[in-house]
Amino acid sequence: MVGDGEALAPEGLQATIGVVPMGDVGEVAVRIVAAHLQTVLGLAVDILERRPVSDRCYVPDRRQYDAAKLIAALKECSASWPYLKIVAVLSVDLGVPILRFVFGEAEMGGRCAVVSGYRLRRNEDGTDAGLEVYYERLAKVALHETAHTLSLFHCDDPRCLMHFAASTKHLDRIRLFFCARCAFLLKKTVQTLLESHGP
Amino acid sequence: MTGRFKILVADDELIVRESLVAWLKKGGYQVDAASGGGEALESLEKSAYDLLFLDIKMPDMNGIDVLRVVKQRYPGTMVVMITAYGSVESAVEAMKLGANDYLMKPFEPEQLALLVEKLLQHKKLIDENILLREQMATAAVERYQDMIGASPAMQTLFEMVEKVAAVDSPVLIKGETGTGKELVAKAIHARSARRYGPFIAINCGAFTESLLESELFGHEVGSFTGAVKAKKGRLELVRGGTLFLDEVGEIPMKMQVDLLRVLEERRIHRVGGTRDIPVDFRLISATHRDLTKAMEAGHFRRDFYFRLNVLELEVPPLRARREDIPILADFFLRRFRKETNKPVESLDKKAVELLCAYDWPGNVRELENAVERAVVLAKGRILTEDDFAFLKRTVGTVEPQSLEDMERLHIQRILNLCRGNISQAARILKINRTTLHSKIKRYGLTGSA
Ligand SMILES: Nc1ncnc2c1ncn2[C@@H]1O[C@H](COP(=O)(O)OP(=O)(O)OP(=O)(O)O)[C@@H](O)[C@H]1O
Ligand SMILES: [Mg+2]
Ligand SMILES: [Zn+2]
Ligand SMILES: [Zn+2]
Repeated sequence: MVGDGEALAPEGLQATIGVVPMGDVGEVAVRIVAAHLQTVLGLAVDILERRPVSDRCYVPDRRQYDAAKLIAALKECSASWPYLKIVAVLSVDLGVPILRFVFGEAEMGGRCAVVSGYRLRRNEDGTDAGLEVYYERLAKVALHETAHTLSLFHCDDPRCLMHFAASTKHLDRIRLFFCARCAFLLKKTVQTLLESHGP
Repeated sequence: MTGRFKILVADDELIVRESLVAWLKKGGYQVDAASGGGEALESLEKSAYDLLFLDIKMPDMNGIDVLRVVKQRYPGTMVVMITAYGSVESAVEAMKLGANDYLMKPFEPEQLALLVEKLLQHKKLIDENILLREQMATAAVERYQDMIGASPAMQTLFEMVEKVAAVDSPVLIKGETGTGKELVAKAIHARSARRYGPFIAINCGAFTESLLESELFGHEVGSFTGAVKAKKGRLELVRGGTLFLDEVGEIPMKMQVDLLRVLEERRIHRVGGTRDIPVDFRLISATHRDLTKAMEAGHFRRDFYFRLNVLELEVPPLRARREDIPILADFFLRRFRKETNKPVESLDKKAVELLCAYDWPGNVRELENAVERAVVLAKGRILTEDDFAFLKRTVGTVEPQSLEDMERLHIQRILNLCRGNISQAARILKINRTTLHSKIKRYGLTGSA
């Protein structure tokens, strides 16, 4: 079932996910996100050209970027790109009007998602989490948000990738898998997509 | 999928509305939006919602007024008020009017997630009729948080708790043992802005001086023999929440100074450490001792006392609110019936009278224990006077000495037994009603139990 996002992608697209590095996010982080999307979701992934973070999305009061605005901007500029989904990877602080911060954002059943490593490098108590933990967290957030674009809802299972994790502590408790139910839903959605678009 | 829950978001700001609706939809809930109070009421009239997010400030109709209507017309809909920074006072007013909770914009992601989960869980229970049956037994006014109390004394206390919860100053709770001081402390925490933080209690009378110090302040490795690991103290762990110092009168003088410093400087050192650790908590303390006497005797520091006692609450002894005894007994009976699985249904009239006449030196805890004992040992479906025979033996063990005190106590007992019926009491006492009236007045007795 597709949510209330609009049509999945322009005509003639390939069933591939485009990963866009934005601003000064590290090269390795982007490659790790791409690799995880490819293996866990079973879809082809291309890393696209680096783009600047749009100043229009900056909220001076909160010293953050508005994740919903970033998605709107991304949707606009990517309209003609031949990709099924677009996932932007950033390293700036993200928020939305109603939440003090977010690790990432996506529209249910929509086309675009954004994720940021900004709040994933440190632990709750301020200590450095180390690179390995940081990359793992980023991969989890990217998988979670991308699955939202594939119409997956939040899941009650606290260890499932689709559980809403509001802190890094919680994110660390989540495994790099979808629970059986979410995995099933995802497989069905992806299958339908592949059938309608071909590889 | 959780699609069967319906949520309405009422806020005049488009971006707030869209953002909250989008987040809730990701939870799989069915979500609608309204751009003002009037529109919200129209939506509620058209279909039933489980949960309403309601902005306090809206141009067409203020959120508080909408709340009043919702509580009256759609009591099944739970309400969470949305407030902006600086409008916490109206949020407190809303809570008094029956809002289930409030959140300040922008929300902490964790708070929003926990709140929605908690409320919908609660709603599920109601829908499954579990709570409903329990609640019918005790009407809403007789209940506050986890406390039962219909007496004017308790109603006043609940109002005080509500006021005290709205500010962050230290509170001292006084009251005899077993009156419910800890429950009051928990209620203050649950109604305060710190409710998402931890509630940590420590019984200061239960530790030796050095153990209490390490419990409160924590310690570094090697600070004393056996300290092989560094440990965080409760002052550190309670960050963002409420610290409950029970039996605060038992704190040794030296530590009173240390705690005074913590309250003034808002930072601590662990035992054996030098590092400054910032602390952030609200302090609630409790005592059953008369601290004024302890101060006079030099066992309690005056400066510390005034730090603790910025706000003061007193929990009345059970014998001063006898009208609560029947509903408390009923409440405990239900609880122990469930716990023990014994088919005990109720208390008979005589048993209730006995409980009402007894003086309860151990207050609510003693009543709770008595009911538990009676339920556990009960042979029939109805608890009788005989099931509480163990109380009779202790009635009057702490009898007053003077004849006058005796008379006063006796009259009060008979009045309680007769549930305030003066003629009946006069007959039993073998005096006329006028004499009884004048004695009631002279002794300041209460006419009803
Ligand atoms: N109003 C009430 N409604 C329901 N239960 C109550 C009420 N007051 C007290 N209780 C119950 O009585 C017991 C004693 O309460 P609590 O521990 O809060 O008393 P306390 O004043 O802290 O006692 P102490 O001074 O001995 O520490 C608890 O089990 C509590 O749940
Ligand atoms: Mg206590
Ligand atoms: Zn999500
Ligand atoms: Zn799941």
